[in-house]
Amino acid sequence: MISNMEPVAGSFVRWLSTATTLLTGTLLAAALSTPAQAVPSYARQTGSECAACHVGSFGPQLTPYGIRFKVGGYTDTDGKGDKVPLSAMAVANWTRTAKDLPEAPAHFNTNNNTAMQEISLFLAGRLTDNIGTFVQGTYSGVDRISSLDQMDVRFASTLNLGEQEGVVGLSLNNNPTLTDPFNTLATWRFPYTASDFGFGTGAAPLVENLGGSVVGLNAYTLWEKSFYAELGVYRSLSGSTVNKINTSQVATATIDPGKFSGVGTYWRLAYFKDMKRDNFNIGVFGFNAGVENADQPGGTDRYQDIGIDASYQFLGNREHIFTINTSYVWERQNLHYTHNTLDASEHSTDTLNTFRLAASYNYQQSWGLTAGLFNTRGSSDSGLYGEVSYNSRPDTSGYILQADWTPWGKEDSWGAPWANIRLGLQYTGYNRFNGGSHYIDDVNNTDRKASDNNTTMLFVWLAI
Amino acid sequence: MINTRYATLVALGLIMDAGQVLAAGDAKRGADVFAEECGDCHSAVPGKNKKGPTLTGINGRKAGSVADFAGYSDAIKQSGITWAPDKIDPYIAAPRKIVPGGKMKYDGLADATARADVIAYLLSLK
Repeated sequence: MISNMEPVAGSFVRWLSTATTLLTGTLLAAALSTPAQAVPSYARQTGSECAACHVGSFGPQLTPYGIRFKVGGYTDTDGKGDKVPLSAMAVANWTRTAKDLPEAPAHFNTNNNTAMQEISLFLAGRLTDNIGTFVQGTYSGVDRISSLDQMDVRFASTLNLGEQEGVVGLSLNNNPTLTDPFNTLATWRFPYTASDFGFGTGAAPLVENLGGSVVGLNAYTLWEKSFYAELGVYRSLSGSTVNKINTSQVATATIDPGKFSGVGTYWRLAYFKDMKRDNFNIGVFGFNAGVENADQPGGTDRYQDIGIDASYQFLGNREHIFTINTSYVWERQNLHYTHNTLDASEHSTDTLNTFRLAASYNYQQSWGLTAGLFNTRGSSDSGLYGEVSYNSRPDTSGYILQADWTPWGKEDSWGAPWANIRLGLQYTGYNRFNGGSHYIDDVNNTDRKASDNNTTMLFVWLAI
Repeated sequence: MINTRYATLVALGLIMDAGQVLAAGDAKRGADVFAEECGDCHSAVPGKNKKGPTLTGINGRKAGSVADFAGYSDAIKQSGITWAPDKIDPYIAAPRKIVPGGKMKYDGLADATARADVIAYLLSLK
């Protein structure tokens, strides 16, 4: 859920507090965390095994069947009466970094930490013929707080126009990319779990930093099973509301929380083709919002995010599954308030570009190997990054390798559809961090190598 | 005499449609086709229903008659179909053409050989 590692967090907190550009500490939490989701209540509702909806028999990477289930509002059923739409999940891990953390997180050590990282309860399933939910509340065993993690409440219906047919729906949610049915945008892309003791993947665009601090209403359609379109408007939650649902993290992580000036707008277009044996999607998306200081409204910074994404899955007879997912996001930051009023950024206009690529192989829906690349590049800005970066850039790049085993989750598995588990080993290597192969450890005011942040994580991920 | 001949052809994996031999079905290949095309919504496990009813025992079964499956459309229940290879083949080629108003959201399997294979697989399920 929430990481408090200084090398990443320090730079972000500084960026947040000096620029007062991003919304709240919740944004920081979202930027640094990789929410995990696994909900067997959907399997109990549909009669389908986890493997029907998810590559590798475990969430969240969706198959076409899973995509249609989500677009359909989480309402498909096996017709055997109403099921209790509740699931629970726990992620425990052990984390080692190449060099000790700059400082020990509260309750933990500077290295070799073992934690019950998160325990989640889901309200996930069909409420009526047309309404379903995906709502996740999470307790972080690292930060020792509870929060409303993800919320997606949907209404969906089939619409026929002449010979054509589509699904149309509405989503009330708290995170723009949470609503997306594909496996390429922030909430749903690899890595599907990451250690809170790790260093993240670098600065992220605003659209990826909003989880939990906004509420949005989105209209969407999947027309003729192929054409996906979505339009959403988001409002930032008040500081008191964020505090209520995310406890004290906001209060400790931010000085001047921001809020949207008006509404943020999210849009998405994608083409999806399911050939059964394999499938692909290609799409574009964007987010546009002005952010102002909640305590001193008037001046505004404006963020414009535009992204492209694509994915391919070979499913075949499910014996050997290959997938590849990629995305690229351009962000233009008009920092007029930060630059002109606060004098906290060097420029009034900056950019931040992020590239992500992940390829996976899965054998017998049980044994998985995934390799991912991440690359973040941004403008040189001494005001935003100067204290942690020798060249005042946020540039961070590296790779993530994961091997995992999911023994259950198939039709004939033990415990199906009541339990599932994934065991995994994940390694994150850094080529650059905060601008280069070396950066400034601003906690200890020393030089630190990017590779010092290389992180090994063993994890156990259980869902019931 | 006719029944005996028909049963023999089925046993050989040959699918008959209006007297025409469509293809020789291969149940082993059909298992793969089932996994690719059908398995998300249908189970081959006896008594196991998903979004669609189990397909074990489909041969000779009246459409819409699996007792503990509640997801049938009125259209399929009133179709009057009794499933046999010559009924399954056109249905999985174009479900909505054969049963307008049915719930099965499947566009159909155009490959006649693949259809023959999956039918051979379905007939092999016990």
